[in-house]
Amino acid sequence: MNFKEQRENFRNKKISAKEAVQEALSKVENDKLNIFISNLRDSAEKRAEEIDSNFEKYKDKPLSGVPIAHKDIFCTENIQTTCGSKMLSNFVPPYSSTVTKNCDEAGSVMIAKTNMDEFAMGSSNETSFFGPVGNPWNDSLVPGGSSGGSAACVAANITSISTGTDTGGSIRQPAALCGITGMKPTYGLVSRWGMIAFCSSMDQAGPFARDAFGCAALLDAMASYDAKDSTCSKREVVNFENALAKDFGTLNIGIIKNIEELGINNDVLEAYEHSKSVLQQLGHTIKEIDFSELSSGICSYYVIAPAECSSNLSRFDGVKYGYRSDQNNISELYMKTRSEGFGDEVKKRILIGTHVLSAGFYDAYYLKAQQVRRMMKNKFEDIFKDVDLIFMPTTLDQAFEKNRKDSDPNRMYKEDLLTIPANLAGLPAISFPNGFKNNLPIGGQFVGNYFKEDLLLNTANKIQEVTDWHKMTP
Amino acid sequence: MNKIELKNLLFLARIHAEEKEYPEITKKLTNTFNLIDEMNNLDLKDLEPLNNPLELKNVSRTDKERNRNQKDKFLDQSPESDDDHFMVPKIIE
Amino acid sequence: MAQNDTVINGWQPVIGLEVHVQLLTNTKLFSPAKNKFGEDANSLVDLIDMGLPGVLPVLNEDAMNQGIKFGLATSAKISETMIFDRKNYFYPDLPKGYQITQLHYPIVKDGVVDLGYKKVRIHQAHLEEDAGKSMHDQYDANSVIDLNRSGVPLLEIVSEPDLRSAQEAVDYLKKIHQIITYLDISDGNMSQGSMRCDANVSLMRPDSKEYGTRAEIKNINSFKFVEKAINHEIKRQMKILEVGGEIEQETRLYDAVKDETRSMRTKEFANDYRYFPCPDLVPTHISKEQIEHVKNTMDELPEEKQKRFKDQYKLDDYDSKVLCAEKETAKFYEEVVQKCDPQIAAKWIIGELNALLNKNELSLKDSKITSSNFAALILKISDGTISGKIAKDILEDIWESGNAVSDIIDSKNLKQISDTGEIEKVIDEIFENNKSQVEAYKSGKDKLFGFFVGQVMKATQGKANPGMVNQLLKDKLK
Repeated sequence: MNFKEQRENFRNKKISAKEAVQEALSKVENDKLNIFISNLRDSAEKRAEEIDSNFEKYKDKPLSGVPIAHKDIFCTENIQTTCGSKMLSNFVPPYSSTVTKNCDEAGSVMIAKTNMDEFAMGSSNETSFFGPVGNPWNDSLVPGGSSGGSAACVAANITSISTGTDTGGSIRQPAALCGITGMKPTYGLVSRWGMIAFCSSMDQAGPFARDAFGCAALLDAMASYDAKDSTCSKREVVNFENALAKDFGTLNIGIIKNIEELGINNDVLEAYEHSKSVLQQLGHTIKEIDFSELSSGICSYYVIAPAECSSNLSRFDGVKYGYRSDQNNISELYMKTRSEGFGDEVKKRILIGTHVLSAGFYDAYYLKAQQVRRMMKNKFEDIFKDVDLIFMPTTLDQAFEKNRKDSDPNRMYKEDLLTIPANLAGLPAISFPNGFKNNLPIGGQFVGNYFKEDLLLNTANKIQEVTDWHKMTP
Repeated sequence: MNKIELKNLLFLARIHAEEKEYPEITKKLTNTFNLIDEMNNLDLKDLEPLNNPLELKNVSRTDKERNRNQKDKFLDQSPESDDDHFMVPKIIE
Repeated sequence: MAQNDTVINGWQPVIGLEVHVQLLTNTKLFSPAKNKFGEDANSLVDLIDMGLPGVLPVLNEDAMNQGIKFGLATSAKISETMIFDRKNYFYPDLPKGYQITQLHYPIVKDGVVDLGYKKVRIHQAHLEEDAGKSMHDQYDANSVIDLNRSGVPLLEIVSEPDLRSAQEAVDYLKKIHQIITYLDISDGNMSQGSMRCDANVSLMRPDSKEYGTRAEIKNINSFKFVEKAINHEIKRQMKILEVGGEIEQETRLYDAVKDETRSMRTKEFANDYRYFPCPDLVPTHISKEQIEHVKNTMDELPEEKQKRFKDQYKLDDYDSKVLCAEKETAKFYEEVVQKCDPQIAAKWIIGELNALLNKNELSLKDSKITSSNFAALILKISDGTISGKIAKDILEDIWESGNAVSDIIDSKNLKQISDTGEIEKVIDEIFENNKSQVEAYKSGKDKLFGFFVGQVMKATQGKANPGMVNQLLKDKLK
């Protein structure tokens, strides 16, 4: 079931919002993959009824009558929002994020909040306080992270659309491992108001759907200028669904020289090669580009992201909201609340971040990392003078086993090697299914220039018109 | 990173850890720093640090009031409070 | 006052002040909650001030403009680029676990404040958000937090260590107070905490090229305590240095009750604030147009007003200065002189009115004296209706009752007696009853003139026109 069909069914009155919601909810309740943190039956049914009785108002909205699941990182008023953490396991926000509010107004019905890596830190959805999520293709494997729950939700056909966030690849990587389409918009396209912050200068919310069409419609709903977010762009937002029909002509598509030397798995490389020929068949020109700096992004990322997160997570102190450890002196309150409320990965990143910002280390780490970031941005700018899009694999591997024991202690971080550069530069990028091997999906990735979401979606859509990878379901 | 440095770091971050956990934590941190240190192989010349990808400037709002106060809700949700205040264990200055 | 004599027992005190000023914006620095003092606890707290997960700050442009005003008033450089940084530390009244402030790119740099006898340099002034309040007296085992103040805009004004005595520090602080109240950017109320002062104090040998180690004194909340705290600290440091000891670089709290400072030795490790640019905010480029626009909205500064008063109202330096010391007084004066003589008005405000205000420790706006009523009083003095002495009594009456001048004059029958016939009659009667004094005067005892004046005044309950009395007495005693 894809998004377009679901929406058509509502618009044609074949299925009511309530029926769609009830069908989705029964799947939620039967879920064995631990995809969900909260099931919102009561509010979902009420909302569905409201939409059904206001059919005329909602029938032309981008998400009319379609059930949706939101990553549990988005604050939802009066509805529990945990961010995958013990620290917020009892937190009920008194306000809603712009993203969920926009999706609501666009006619969708929120049926559940999805599981995620704790505070969005992870690449396998194994750091959640609420337990790991299984990959719908093989539940002993990971769905990717940090938006593992949202990706699995769509891959398992529970909802046709879901929201995620991408700071270092947390939408694109799970999309690839789960065989669906997922997009990180340009930094600043979607408001961060109400989205629990991990790394403020890279966090960006984005859509999951089976295909580019679903992503386009969902992004239309999500994106809006928001004066409450100082880092939000005032730029006029394009209608992405309409842009799918546009003709962008033949494109110059950049492929990175020697990319196979980065340790990419052969099956993934094979799918990548195959995609190149599909692109050529579509009339595009493949151009080899030099991007030897690509793999440096990861060192910079693991300075900046922990640094900003160490500061963003300082507010979790047991004083005003969230978890509090029962202590009778203030110092212990802080120390124990934070050591008990946060999981190991989060604590590790806070320590790294605290260290790289410390007196005496700031220049050597943080400042340098920001310079690497500048280098990345400059390089992309050069590349985009010659090509319209960059094409590369999304991940190094296909879905891997839960609890994987890595000989390389940084292996998990390196999973984001190919996704991180777009985050550092703030560029839009999309992952779409481009292969299938070992009974598992593979993803390919486009990176575009600033605010070229329409081009990315359009190109992925064109590929999906001539391939079937995105139609495969477990 | 030696024991004292780790202890200071833990305190700076207000995270408690038992001393027996220190070796494991140090190992994990060291692994990540090994990854980060690869930055030192790069020639960064006089590159200007990049803080915000869009390099936006001048965002502000007018001095207009907007009431989003939810005192009761804020206090009810807090771990400990009386009718008017958030409460914590006594702070001794 | 010779400011060179600030060396004490061979030690030169060196003082720098950090003054935190709460700005008079309508809303807070980064949230749209109302910026107001004294309300119900936790009732002026926006989602942003709570530091809830997912909230984001947006800069209040009015706070920025008020910072620019301060820069203009102190001939400082308004920065072309202003950047906000995060200062990270943990405290229960700091909801986010960091304070948004400005470290490397403050709004204002390199200003100067003129005390008259010396100029004091301002290192920088920057914008930052205030923290909430924690209070420790309500419960035995708990402290309580009120976040009303969390997010209120502050301008932190940092001086260079140019001050050399507690007196200079007080003068500087008073000048800052004058500037911020003139600019209407703060009400500078030290007791309410809208102006707070920390002092950095050190001692050095007069011929040394290096400053000594400094101690920071906090918790000073009145002009009087500024002087006391600094003097106490100077004495404390001198004692240590005299016996060859070393000053510890530390923070000390001033205790007003005991009149002493004590060490805040609570932190085992020095606080590492890990400053970095706040990624939720973007840099601000302040244009010349914006500065020009702010300049055009600014009222006159004290020095400008003083000069204008001199020229416009023909006052001398001293009178101008006193009238312009506070914006409120200057405003009152200008309202008063719409209706009456500027010189007389000046004399009476600087003299009698100020005396009354000081004696009762009240400010003009809190008193019952209005500018129109005061002007009426001056008019009655000018046109001779009442004498100066009577005017003084009337002023005290107005202070108490707030009644109109004309009503007081009528009800108490205080009109000055300027009828020469009437005065002559009184004089004749006095001469009749004091024949021997008249004789004595006429034979050379000039001092008795005062006796006759006194008698006339007594007989007329002080209402006789003094000038006329003098003239008529002179004529009659020839």
